[in-house]
Amino acid sequence: MGTSETNINRRRALTQLVTGAVGVASMPLWVESLCAQARAEAHTHAAQAAVTASTWAPSVLTPRQNEAVIALTELIMPATDTPGAKAALVNRFVDHVLSTADAKERSEFIRGLTWLDDRCRARVGQDLAGATTAQLTDIVTPLAVEGTGAADDAPGIAFFRTIKSMTITGYYTTEIGLRQELGDDGRMVLAAFEGCTHPEHQ
Amino acid sequence: MQVITQPKVYPVIVIGSGASGGMAAWNLTRQGIDVVLLDAGDKFDRSKYWTHATPWDTQARLAKGEKPETFFLDTKEQPYLAPNERPFALTRVWGHGGKTNVWGRVSLRYSDIDFKAADRDGWEIPWPISYKDIAPYYDQVEQLIGVNGGTDDSDVLPGSKYLQPPPAPRCGERLLQKAMGKLNIPVVAGRRANMTRSTRGFGPCHYCGNCGNGCDTASFFCSADHLLPFAIKTGKLELRSNAVAARILTDDNGRATGVQYFDRRTGAEQQVRGKIVVLGASCVDSTRILLNSKSARHPNGLGNGSEVIGRYLCEQIRLNARGYLPALEGTATRNDRGIGGEHIYMPRFNHRPGRGRDYMRGFGAQFWNTWSTWNGPQPGSDEIPGFGASLKTQIKRRHPAWFEIHPFGEALPYAHNRITVDPSRVDRYGVPLLHIDYHIGDNERKMTAHMADTIEEIVKAAGGVLVNYKRGDLDAMGSAIHEHGTCRMGTDPKRSALTAFNQMHEVKNVFVVDGSAFPTATEKNPTLTILSLSWRATDYLAQEMKRGNL
Repeated sequence: MGTSETNINRRRALTQLVTGAVGVASMPLWVESLCAQARAEAHTHAAQAAVTASTWAPSVLTPRQNEAVIALTELIMPATDTPGAKAALVNRFVDHVLSTADAKERSEFIRGLTWLDDRCRARVGQDLAGATTAQLTDIVTPLAVEGTGAADDAPGIAFFRTIKSMTITGYYTTEIGLRQELGDDGRMVLAAFEGCTHPEHQ
Repeated sequence: MQVITQPKVYPVIVIGSGASGGMAAWNLTRQGIDVVLLDAGDKFDRSKYWTHATPWDTQARLAKGEKPETFFLDTKEQPYLAPNERPFALTRVWGHGGKTNVWGRVSLRYSDIDFKAADRDGWEIPWPISYKDIAPYYDQVEQLIGVNGGTDDSDVLPGSKYLQPPPAPRCGERLLQKAMGKLNIPVVAGRRANMTRSTRGFGPCHYCGNCGNGCDTASFFCSADHLLPFAIKTGKLELRSNAVAARILTDDNGRATGVQYFDRRTGAEQQVRGKIVVLGASCVDSTRILLNSKSARHPNGLGNGSEVIGRYLCEQIRLNARGYLPALEGTATRNDRGIGGEHIYMPRFNHRPGRGRDYMRGFGAQFWNTWSTWNGPQPGSDEIPGFGASLKTQIKRRHPAWFEIHPFGEALPYAHNRITVDPSRVDRYGVPLLHIDYHIGDNERKMTAHMADTIEEIVKAAGGVLVNYKRGDLDAMGSAIHEHGTCRMGTDPKRSALTAFNQMHEVKNVFVVDGSAFPTATEKNPTLTILSLSWRATDYLAQEMKRGNL
């Protein structure tokens, strides 16, 4: 029987992994691991994101990959009556999470991004960064609903699940996502707690 | 002439300043007894709590190089061991107040359903006390620390006399409550140590809901705010910070004479002499200290002739079920942070007629409607299909509708569930590391099935949908952070280490006052009972000192 020292941080990540991975048993392990990493990093990412736009540069993504991530995150979480992922700088969050992830997970993500980029070029003659929203929508739609894609779409399905989760995590931990979109009033000091006042819930 | 300076001998040495040790130091000093209190850490810095920081505030502060307070002990500094195939998630806080800085605040009295469980089912040893022995202390503790709750007493949850008004339920909690009413499953207001009224000069809760990061206004019970400053004011307390207790020292007769500790900043070995030692370093750390205190008179560790110390570790089983209530989708966003976490509680009900199942003991559950936190999106949001504007709309509509159910179940005491120390693996001070070997058995698996049935029944009745739910899954062992049983009290010295007053059977001048003293885990959160037992034990200690019996 082997015995080993316990690394609590890794364990916490694994706990999240177990509770978060239930619905996606068919997904490769790296997918939920990277999504969990994003959730863990959601409160610390702006060490990067808070720097001004003129000085930020991606640390993992190439400039063209960064453009692709901007396009994909905005596709997932677009500007509507409130700003979308691009305005919320979710691409910087994605880059930061990748910089903190295991090398294997990072390379799986890049492999998935490259796969999708190749598919985009093959289908519309443009890479992800150069494609229109309509073209991106056509390419991503078959990958976005698990169980419906063709068998050889598996790398794209896994990648899309990952970037979708990271986008949701990144977007809703910004002021744009939490305050403007979800409408949180931001008040942290209340004199009294009212609770539910809806007559129909009583 | 050579002057020989005798080291000072303190009347009492207390180890640990959390719920158990803090209570001991407070109760002894107010009775005029001089105490030296050793804590393994320092005072936490309230200016670094960041409780009101949004994620983007946090980001900006980190970018400026600021850092929030870190409460949890890093395993790099203090590793512990577990078998590879049976990991255990241990949470330790070394610093003034210990885990009470960040605890869940759930404050449920044990009743005779808990204290008499082993008398009824015959599993392992009974508690040497009953509800009437501890009830006066529950009364005192609740008035001292400020517990809120309803007036909905039952055989499971007695004694609401001193509770402050509870926070109102949130919308989702109302709907779950109604569903439970239909099913005849009991549900009450949560009972938690957030002050909803000013108490002893501390202002009431301001409902920021971020209690897990410490409290800016000391509005929930924390030993470092509500006990230690009062003990210091008596002039009777000497508090030594960064004093990592390693061993209790003994004389040739096996009686305790002091404590060996290490300075956490310098690593220097120190000793302090005392007539009585009160151990309240948390279940696992107190057990480690006792097992490491070996001598000719105590070859198995201090006071461990019975070999029960380290065995019978009981850590509750828990899980975290999550879902949403379609009836709340699309309702307006509200500020529902409340007292952080749940406002309603399901007391144990499997002892009721017709509710029994094929296992021993029971479980309760905490319920809450999780929206309006600073934690960002609800994790189940990933499962909403599609992308684009429709996804964005769906996430917003579902945001107010998410809820969580956290059942906690009693794990039976088993001799094989055990904390040991490994002389071949030592920490930075050369002190043998903890080894925790823990797994649950059939009884707990059967209970888990009943938990799952109950969750599914309630959610169905409330019209809810569970998301990412896998029937039978439990959180990692250790996640309840309610360790008990490794230095248990009892009437039989062959089967227990402590008397009914937390005094060691084999070493009369050592008391162990934390969760390790509990013969069973129960399904309830233990801190209120730890505080009450420590108060009771140190009343006894003070009385025995005055009578000259110690």
